[in-house]
Amino acid sequence: MATGGEEGALWSIMGYLLSGLIIWGGIGAAVDHWLGTHFFLLIGLLLGGGASMYLVWLRFGRK
Amino acid sequence: MAGSGAGFVPPSTADFNLPPIIGNNAYSTKPVFLVLLSVLVISAFFIAASRKALVVPSKLQFAGESIYAFVRNDIGEEIIGHEFMRFVPFLFTLFTFILTNNVFGIVPFLQFPSMSHVSFPYVLAVFSFVIFHAVGVKKQGLGKYLKGIAFMPGVPKAVYILLTPIEIATFFLVRPLTLSLRLFANMFAGHLLLLVFIMGGDHLIRGVIGLKLIAPFAFAFGIGMTFFEFMVQCLQAYIFTLLTALFIAGALSDEH
Repeated sequence: MATGGEEGALWSIMGYLLSGLIIWGGIGAAVDHWLGTHFFLLIGLLLGGGASMYLVWLRFGRK
Repeated sequence: MAGSGAGFVPPSTADFNLPPIIGNNAYSTKPVFLVLLSVLVISAFFIAASRKALVVPSKLQFAGESIYAFVRNDIGEEIIGHEFMRFVPFLFTLFTFILTNNVFGIVPFLQFPSMSHVSFPYVLAVFSFVIFHAVGVKKQGLGKYLKGIAFMPGVPKAVYILLTPIEIATFFLVRPLTLSLRLFANMFAGHLLLLVFIMGGDHLIRGVIGLKLIAPFAFAFGIGMTFFEFMVQCLQAYIFTLLTALFIAGALSDEH
């Protein structure tokens, strides 16, 4: 985002972190439900958290 | 809660389901009338404030202009940049509408924040959602806009499998949801909090003498919380408008 400054970055970062956890955690939970396992939720949450932090770095850290 | 005969009934979500005012018409509930009232209040205030515009403003004109200048300069221009004037009417309407409806939560006799009914924030979030996407599509073209959202430039192709779902979810799901739920939850919880202190104080004062002595503290806390609520109500109106402006700014910028 070109404008908005640091306050804008703050809210966007929160959104990214949240959706990373929701999407990949949700996919993990769905796989767990499908296969009857229990560890894919954790994998999904870690993956989503990591991916969203990477995304935040791409958007805001890389200049 | 020992001592008094009847047990204390804590406030619950049932306190938000108000009965219809006119007959059995399900659309004639208090929040609906509060929303209509807010439109009248806002219109009357700003018409009165701007009708006799003077170079040396009256107090009313000054108040009206201060609110407008705040939305235009501190939200519109600050966030959106040089194209901001197009969006000021929307942002200004959004801010004053949410602010008025929130503050209804602590106005004596009205005392109900309409935004604690989730459908109102949902509708407002739909407006924001449609507008910021429409602005982006109009500015950049549909394909380029969607590509900008879904595919971050300068990333190995395999990583898109990981990142694209997050980007799409952020723009089309998390943004409108957080926007509306933040407003709703703050107003809902705030109203519930006030109910707890005021109804709790009311219950205590009917109790035995020991409880009667505690009751003033509950009321004092209720009054303190009312001031706190006023702060939250203003803040939530500001944040909703600010985020809408941010989304519009993001859709306008070609950067992503």
